[in-house]
Parts: sequence; structure tokens; C-alpha cells
Amino acid sequence: MVLYNAPTNKMHADEIVDAHVLVVGSGGAGVRAAIEASRYGDVVMVSKTIAGKGGCTTMAEGGYNAVLRDRDSVDVHREDTLKGGAYLNDPALVDALVREAPERMADLVRWGAVFDVTEDREIAQRPFGGQRFPRTCYAGDRTGHEMIMTLLDRLDATDTHLYQEVSVVDLVKDENGAVAGAIALDRDGDVVLFRADATVLATGGGTQVYDISTNSAAGTGDGFAMGYRAGAELIDMEMIQFHPTGAVYPYDARGRLVTEAVRGEGGILLNARRERFMKRYDPDRMELSTRDVVARAIATEVLEGRGTNRGGVYLDVTHLPAEKIETRLPVMLEQFLAYGVDIRREPMEVAPTAHHIMGGLRITPECRTTLPGLFACGEVAGGVHGANRLGGNALAETQVFGKRAGESAGKAPARNGRFDEGAIDEQLRMLDGFFEGAISPADVRRDLKLTMWNQAGIFRNAPDLRTALGHVRRLADQRLCAASTANLLECCTVRNMCTTASLIVRCALLRPENRGAHVRLDAEIATDPATSPFSHTYVSLAREGIERREVTA
Amino acid sequence: MKTITLQVSRFDPAVDAEPHFEEYAVRVNEGARVLHALHAVRDGHDPTLTYRYCCGSGQCGSCAVRVDGKPVLACMEEARDGMTVEPLDLPVLKDLTVDMEPVIAKIARICPAPDAVLPAKEEIEAIKPLRDCIECLCCVSACPALQVTDFAGPTVIRQEMRLALDPRDSGDRIADAIAKGLFYCTTCKRCTEVCPKEIDIPGKAIEKLREIANRRGLTLPRHREVARLVQETGRSVERTQPTFLEQVPEVIEPDGPVRGEVGFFVGCMFNGRVPQTALDAMEVMKRNGIRVIVPHDQVCCGSPLIRTGQTSFVEDLKKKNIEAFARRGIATVMTICAGCGATLKNDYETPFEVKDVTEILTEYGIEPTARLDVTATYHDPCHLLRGQGISEQPRALLREAVREFVEMPTQCCGAGGGVRSGVPEEAKALGAKRDECVKATGADVVVTVCPFCEFHIADCTDVPVKNLTTILLEGYRKKDAEREGSA
Repeated sequence: MVLYNAPTNKMHADEIVDAHVLVVGSGGAGVRAAIEASRYGDVVMVSKTIAGKGGCTTMAEGGYNAVLRDRDSVDVHREDTLKGGAYLNDPALVDALVREAPERMADLVRWGAVFDVTEDREIAQRPFGGQRFPRTCYAGDRTGHEMIMTLLDRLDATDTHLYQEVSVVDLVKDENGAVAGAIALDRDGDVVLFRADATVLATGGGTQVYDISTNSAAGTGDGFAMGYRAGAELIDMEMIQFHPTGAVYPYDARGRLVTEAVRGEGGILLNARRERFMKRYDPDRMELSTRDVVARAIATEVLEGRGTNRGGVYLDVTHLPAEKIETRLPVMLEQFLAYGVDIRREPMEVAPTAHHIMGGLRITPECRTTLPGLFACGEVAGGVHGANRLGGNALAETQVFGKRAGESAGKAPARNGRFDEGAIDEQLRMLDGFFEGAISPADVRRDLKLTMWNQAGIFRNAPDLRTALGHVRRLADQRLCAASTANLLECCTVRNMCTTASLIVRCALLRPENRGAHVRLDAEIATDPATSPFSHTYVSLAREGIERREVTA
Repeated sequence: MKTITLQVSRFDPAVDAEPHFEEYAVRVNEGARVLHALHAVRDGHDPTLTYRYCCGSGQCGSCAVRVDGKPVLACMEEARDGMTVEPLDLPVLKDLTVDMEPVIAKIARICPAPDAVLPAKEEIEAIKPLRDCIECLCCVSACPALQVTDFAGPTVIRQEMRLALDPRDSGDRIADAIAKGLFYCTTCKRCTEVCPKEIDIPGKAIEKLREIANRRGLTLPRHREVARLVQETGRSVERTQPTFLEQVPEVIEPDGPVRGEVGFFVGCMFNGRVPQTALDAMEVMKRNGIRVIVPHDQVCCGSPLIRTGQTSFVEDLKKKNIEAFARRGIATVMTICAGCGATLKNDYETPFEVKDVTEILTEYGIEPTARLDVTATYHDPCHLLRGQGISEQPRALLREAVREFVEMPTQCCGAGGGVRSGVPEEAKALGAKRDECVKATGADVVVTVCPFCEFHIADCTDVPVKNLTTILLEGYRKKDAEREGSA
């Protein structure tokens, strides 16, 4: 195994875990990838939490979009997704998503998932925002939890080796520049090396870089940062989904997700004057407009003085039968009751919260990144959702692209390349350096989150973004201090958060238009999503910019 | 913001022989949870404090700890000034983190049959209440059976039932559940009490699996004997002495004016094994002006059968009992046995109200007793505390009847759920733990309101164990004696 040599205070690694496929991340996409890859060879899955307890799949409440009925069609799902994404989505990825979501749902059911069903023994579906057919499958409001439990059952039936509470801190390349594995820290801060023919990055999202976020503590953007440092290209990192409905109080629970299913089941939004204000923003779709529109509507109501004293608006389900709330929204009921609010009798107070990163590593439909040997799937990959993700498409994405990534990685050829020893030495020196650092990672984290919320949030402009970028870079240059070996991970995590935040801000500066979730109050160019001349922003160690596209009117 | 002080259990296996508490004063926001107080300790006092957390919203089950002894999710439990925070009662890795993986590994995985199809709506609805588990292991930390047996844990059995209900599963869940300790559960419901999702594991998993086991002939032999006895005699206790019902008329009139009237559901223990206690209770009722109607055609409530999964003729018992009281137009039925009371309240649909004796006495108000010159402690019967939500009334009555009342920690005595008859060594081991608690209080007498607890604890300790009504009667006798002495 791998040792931290206390007397000399130097890190070194002298044993390596080998695998055909290394999967980094244990959320819906990672586990699905491991299941698929295990059909082709040895798989090692590395999870920074106990598997099933980390990531956002476990927390996902509302549902999984899949076309299951004759009256619905994959063409309509495709159009809804593209329109919702302000036509920034990669059409080939959308095509894979909508075509394969039903098959992947069938896998889950075959493996034992307990989705709600109708009297006619069909998977039940509920309406979600921005969709013309109620195609969101669900298990109450604990859909993601149901999925992850099922996926872990299935994973257990494979030969996958699971390393729990082991955190990958960087990708490692071979002498040819291909990704050949990863360097990780275990619970005690000891170094573990993983070497693989193919590596799947399935590390999920990173909206913990914002002060107000729905993400679990694990949503720190590690995969974006590690991919970037390894040289992969990322796209559309400015596209941050602010979920319209996050909890407002108590202070420490701010940002906690209030599922879109609340509105899907009939919940209405009211401002402090008890006006159903969505009629002024999207009179056709009202509360079930797309998330970017609803989030901006709520933010605008609050900014213009029509919010509650706590800076939110009301989300009300008191007109629904109590029984429906109890059976369809039990988690919501339980969470609000814990804070003294009975949602059967009084409205919730909600405000936008950073929820999902639409951007990520650029992938092909086979989940290849721009780096040989590296595959990506789930939230860490970009392009599926364009400029705004539809509720219910993320869980579907984890399954469709998890399978694709696992298959592609599984089919990857054996490689004989050797680890770039120099790079590993550099990693170990970097880790060592944290023992001589000066500043607490907790302080940097707090500062970073506030900076991002205040200067790179829902409404943006160039001066604020430039200020944010300068500040994030200064934070990234701070010499973080590890109080013990076990605290090395916290330093690595905060470093990743700084990197991810800088990618978001850089891309936000690159896109001069308003598009989906990205709003530049100083936009000088008015574009229509369907005909915008702009396509993806891109950023890598080598280059950054924004793509232009030919649009046929 | 406010300042709170908390005691946090610290343990570093590299340095410490055993855990110790450290005290911290931290600033937290109004409404802060335990988790936020721990963050404040880590960020403001000691960055090496180790604890797990992830979702922050009660959905992932990472952050369970014991706060003031009770397992809770740190992210949902409100932080309190003066609280103690300890790890779950599992092997500690460091500070507040425990080794969860070996327990989680015992939770069965589904083995879907190759031809598995989507279950029907009613099948899904049956599974769902057992599916909310987030594997936080609060129940495993709190379960008394785990302290003295190799029981795999409440949530492990929960999962066996979840799988047994799924038509897609091909595993033998009954054999698995028995191997994992299906018959070790005392049905004390402590697991449900600490479950963040309030999953009724004893009612919805343990008893249901025992029912399926029963249909397959896998019920424990001692439990089968009890069922045979009930079927043949209507009673779960053999007649070894004149029974309570043989000694009393159908209507027991009070000494003075009639202030109220109740039916009395006697139960097998009071009827057959400890009739004197029930006779004592009747004296207390008479003295307080309450007429007691005792239908002689009542039978066993069925609790010993339901808890052990032998439900084939429970409906007959229910029908007989309901008719016995309903026919006499009784509006309120009193129980003195916590097990019968919980069964009548939770497993029956009765046209009459069911109340524990302590509820009745508290509602009517009783003539004060003389104070007995003893220090008494109280044992909460599980089926009274959690089965019926009653804890205050017996304490209030007891406090007035003795010189001194001292609390002891609440825990199952080990007798319930068929464990005393089926797994006697477990019952004995849990009883011994009760004895330790009793001794630690220094009390002269242990008081309870359940004949089953009373009988079992008396077997396990040399301190006298008495029913609360017996204490009240002794108080009245002392009062009468003092009155005569002064007259």
C-alpha cells in the first residue's frame, strides 16, 4: 500500500492499483459506467464518499425524463430539450439522450427499481417545466435515491472493486500524454495510485462554488478542475443553472433544493403581494416554464421589492389535497416540518439557488473527451443541456451517458504506457507543500463562495466578472494549509473549487450575449437563441474562446 | 447569531486509548443544526475534527451521530446549547466517524429473476414504506438486541421484507432473515423512534416476515406452543392457579359514589400468572369511584401471536373481544397490560375507546395516597412508551406516591416480541442490563405498568419490581393505617 512517511515529512507512493477501467465518482453516471465497463474487464470505482451517499443523484428528487407513451415521441422530447437549452445543446448528444433514456429506464426497472406506477401497470409520469408532455418518471420525491440504490444493487453483482472514501486529487498521464490513471488520497490522507487503460470521469457537478447551492458537500467541481489541469477542453462553463426554488431559511439551510415536482404537482408561486407573478413572465407555461425563466422571474420580484422579508417568494401547495402532498412530496413535507413549516397548511418561502453546471468536459456521443484515455459522463460532461437543463433530463443523462462511457472505456485497448514519474513526483511535492501553507482552506472556501454568488451569479456584467476573476485567481494563489495528513484532501478540494470557479467566470466573460441561464446585463448584442451566431464557449490549458456557427434562418 | 457550548467526543486511534469529550463554545446562526455547530468547531477551533456529512438535507444518511445519547441526523437536528455529540454505537474510526461499511454490506441486494417485469401498483405501494431507508444506521446504533446478540440490525431485516415483497426478486428472504436474526427482535420499536424516516420496521418488516416464516412452518417451537395454547384455551398462559376472572364478578362496584365506568381488558398475564396485581388494581379503582365491568367471555388479545407472526386465527380473537365489550355497551376499555393496550389501540379497530390505567387515573384524578417511604425508579414498558406514547402519566402518579423518584435510562427489558419464550438467553442478557441500570439508581423498588416487563425484570434483579397500581394500593393502606393509628 501507500505510505505517508512521517519522520521525513515526505509523501511517497510505492504501490499501485491496476485496472482495465478506472471510474472516478459513484453517482448515477459513475455507477452506471462501472456496471457497463465491467462487461469488458477489471473495473475499479473510486468514491470520495461511501458509495450511494455522495453526489447529487442520491439527492435528486423530481424525476427522470423518458418517452414511454405512444402519444409522446422522442422528436418532441428532442425539441423540448433543444428549445429549453436555448439551442446551445450538442444535437448529437441530445439525440442519444432522448433515444436511449427509455431503454435505460427499462434497465433500472429490470434491476429492481421501485418507480411509481399507474393502475394500468405503466411507469407513472408527471409534468415538468418546459416539456409538452408529462414524461417525468418518478419514485415519489426521492427518485434519485431510488435509482442509486438500484444501481448499487446491480453493481454488487459485477466484479467491480470499490474504493470508498478514497478521493482522486488528480489525473495522471503516461509518457505519451494519454490519461493512464489517477492519484488519490484515502481517509487518512495516504496516497493511493490507480493505473488503468481507460479512465471515466463521473465526478458530478460543482455548484458548491456558490454561496447558495443545492449541491451536496461533494459537489465541489473536482472533475472540471482535474480534467482542465490534465489538458482536457471544457465547454459552456458559464452555463450555471440556478434552480428557481431553494429554501430561504433558516440561514444554514439556505439553498436547499425544493423540488420542481412541487410545481409539477400543482404548486403556485406568489410574491409578497400574493400576486401570481409568473403571468407577467411566461403567461403560457406559468410556474412550469423553464428553470432559467422562473429563476430570473423570482430574482426580479425580489430585486424590485416584491419579495418576502427574508428575500424570497412564496411557493404554495395548500390548495392541494393533504394526501397528495403526503404521497407525492413526502421528502419536502418532512424537510419543512423539521423547520417548523407544515406545507399542507402554509406556503414555503423560496429563492433561486445554484443547482447544476450545464457546461463541462467536451465529449463525443461515445463520451470521449479531448484527451486520449479519458472519458466523461454525467454532470462533469458538457453539451447535453446547452444553456439550460430541463428538470428530469439530468437523471436520464446519468444513465444514457453512464452506459455509453462505460462501454467506450470498456472497449478501450490495453495500454502499456508507463506513468509519467515526474508528474507523480510533482503531485507529491504539491501535497507536501500544504504542510507549509499559511491560510486555512475554510477561509478561502467561504471567500470564494461569496465572490461567485455576488459577482458571477444570476445577473452578470463584465466589470463584476473581471473583479471576480481577479479575486478567484488571488484565492487560487493562496498557500493553503493542511492541519493534518487527513486535511490534505480539504486543501485539494478548495484548490479544485478555485479552478472550477475561474473556468465559470472566464467562460462568462467570453459569451457576450444573453443565452438560457447566462444573463449579461451589459450584453451589447441581442441574439435570438435559435439564430444566435454563437455556439459553445471553450476553455483549456491551451486556448479559450467562443465558437461561431452558421445559422440557417 | 448565538453562542452555544457543546461537548464533542474525540478519538484518534493513533494517540488515544479511548474517546474523551472536548468542550467547545461556538457562534452559530438561529436555527443552526448540529452539523453547522460541528462545522463551526472545525473551522474555528480544530480543523482535524472528523465527521461525515454530505447532502445536508436528510437524504444521504452520512451524518448520523448521537446527540445527548439519541441517534439523529446531524444535518436535521437543531443544535442545542449544552448538547453532547457522540458517534453512533458502532466501531469508531476517528472522532465522530464510525465503520458503516460492514453493516451496509449485510443489507441484502435484490436478485432479479431474468424474466422480471414491472410490479403492479399495489405491489409498489406495499414496498414503498420500506424503501425510504437512507442507511444512516441510527436504528443499528439504538437497537437493544444488537447489544447482546449477533442480530444483523433492524434495517437489514427491513431490506429482507422489501425484497420479499418484490415479485422481481428471486432470493429466499425468509431463510436470509432468520439467519440474520429475525427472531431476535423484541418489537420494542426503538428503531422506529430514532428512524429519520419513521419506518415501522417491527410492524412492517419483522412481524410480516415472521408471518411468512409461519406459513412455511419455520416459527420457533416455543412460539408454536403458545399459539397452540391460545387456540385451545383462549389464553396464552396456562392455568396454574385460580385466575383473575374466576375471582371477580362481572361488575365491580366502587366503594363510594360512581364517578365513572370502564370495561377492563384483563389480558393473559394478569388473568393467569399474576392475578393478585390485577386484584390490587381493582381495589384502587373501587377506592376512586370507578365502576369496572369485566366481561368474562374476553380472551387473549392476540399480541403474542401477532408479534411472532402466527396470525391465522387472530381475527377470531379480535372478534370475540370486540363483541365481549361492545355487547355490554362499554364506551371505554381499560388495560393495565402495556402489550394488550398497544395491541388493542394499534392492531384492532374498536367501536370503543381504549385507555391505559394511568390515563384513566390521571383523567379522573385520584385520592392522594400516603407517601411510601421508598426510593422508586420507573421502567418504561416499550409497548406503553412507544406503543401508546405514554410516559408522563405513570411518572406523575408515582412521584406523588413515594418519598423519592429517580429516573433510569429507558431500554427494553428483553421480554417482548416472543423473545422471552423464543430466545431466552437474549431476554436474560437484556434483563441483566436492566438490573445494572436499576442498581445504578440505588432505588428500593422498580415500578412499571406492564405485567410482562414486571415478571421478566423480577427474574433478572433482586430489587423488588411492582406494578404502579400495587404501589398506589400500598399507599392507601399506609394512609388507612396512619389514620387508624391517629384515631
